[in-house]
Amino acid sequence: MSADHSLRHEELLPAYALGAVDGEDLREMESHLATGCAECRRQLDLWQGDLEELAASVEPVAPSDMARRRIQKLAGTAAPVRSRPSRWPAILAAASLLVAVFFGWRQARLGEEMERLGAERDRLARQVSGLDQQLGLARAEANRMAESLAIITSPSSRAIVLAGLGPSPNAKGHTFVSPERGKAVFYAFDLPALTPDKTYQLWWIEGGKPVSAGVFKVDERGTGSIQVERAPRGATDAWAVTVEPAGGVPQPTGEMVLKG
Amino acid sequence: MLDSWGARGLSGFPSMDQRTPLNETDLLRRIATGDGDALSRVFELHSPVVLGLLVRMLGVRAEAEEVLQEVFLQVWMQADRYEESRCSPRGWILMLARSRALDRLRRRMSQQRREDEVAAGEGVAVRPVGTARLEASEQRSRVGTALGVLSPEQRHCIELAFFEGLTHTQIAERLKAPLGTVKSRILLGMNKLRQALSTS
Repeated sequence: MSADHSLRHEELLPAYALGAVDGEDLREMESHLATGCAECRRQLDLWQGDLEELAASVEPVAPSDMARRRIQKLAGTAAPVRSRPSRWPAILAAASLLVAVFFGWRQARLGEEMERLGAERDRLARQVSGLDQQLGLARAEANRMAESLAIITSPSSRAIVLAGLGPSPNAKGHTFVSPERGKAVFYAFDLPALTPDKTYQLWWIEGGKPVSAGVFKVDERGTGSIQVERAPRGATDAWAVTVEPAGGVPQPTGEMVLKG
Repeated sequence: MLDSWGARGLSGFPSMDQRTPLNETDLLRRIATGDGDALSRVFELHSPVVLGLLVRMLGVRAEAEEVLQEVFLQVWMQADRYEESRCSPRGWILMLARSRALDRLRRRMSQQRREDEVAAGEGVAVRPVGTARLEASEQRSRVGTALGVLSPEQRHCIELAFFEGLTHTQIAERLKAPLGTVKSRILLGMNKLRQALSTS
């Protein structure tokens, strides 16, 4: 239990588990959870267990044969992306499934005519499977970029430049915060790659307290990025990046490499 | 629905009785190593309730099926992120599904904000999609019994938050109720729900 744990936090937890907390309540709850309060984490897991029961109380619905076939097809491929030697078959299957999902959605709406087109689609999909893979990946990237662009170009967007510190004096970072969206996007440049047991973690500092904005890795060029889904809408003292154990930590413990 | 599902089984997947007993956490671990059979078995186990939740939240079968596939694709790609100490495998998958459904609803909400405002302005009480189906199932479920101890107002607020992803403020606007009242209804309702679930 953290030092500032209070009854108020416990009262906010059920609504927080529901996703109903907003405004100042949300900021207060997330700041508190970021302190690593074990009691709140324990209670949050219990509330989420109750919500699991609520979710599972709905009337079950049997998936269509088409959905089953697609999952079966996916299951028939090699290991998912975590297994590097088998990465491409899994990505190909995933991209193929994404494309199939898109086509399936249209097919359901156009009935029998779309069934005929679906067969044609399958034939074409086989022919252009290489393009399908690229399309799925490109679509995901495009969506991510569009979201980032919307944050950067929102009328009230603020930009914060982070400068390199300590071992990475040439590194730099840019944070763009959209108060109206409550989101932010962060880009890092020229950061050294880390060993697998380490990660970079982004923080914002508000009222002297660091709040985690998420973890990220960098590519071979030292570039990394992260989208912050719940960014501070008001002013912050600073933004910073530290090196932390893989998975991140509730409070910064490692060396600070960027600050601004 | 479940009975007919169970009787028919999953075409193409081995039937349950031909295989060894399941430990769901082990299945997720196996999925994380790329075991396609484990993915099939998890799909077989949980897809009906996941699809039920998605239909309940989205109200459109075709869209729910689409999200269902996205969910199991995510399970396939991210099974290594499951934390046994935090929740059950079913709970993890259901929360993945809920999160994706809420993304869809928010997208819809931003597109239809004007219509929603008109509806709210006219004082229309918007019920969650598919309430009738839930009401039918809850008569035979322990959650249904537990929900029965909540006041209609408490229950409505919890359903709006859980199935439609509305926040305190949005629920207050939707119901034209004071914000403090909405917060109280959710807090009291959730506490009652827990008490009823623990004693049922």
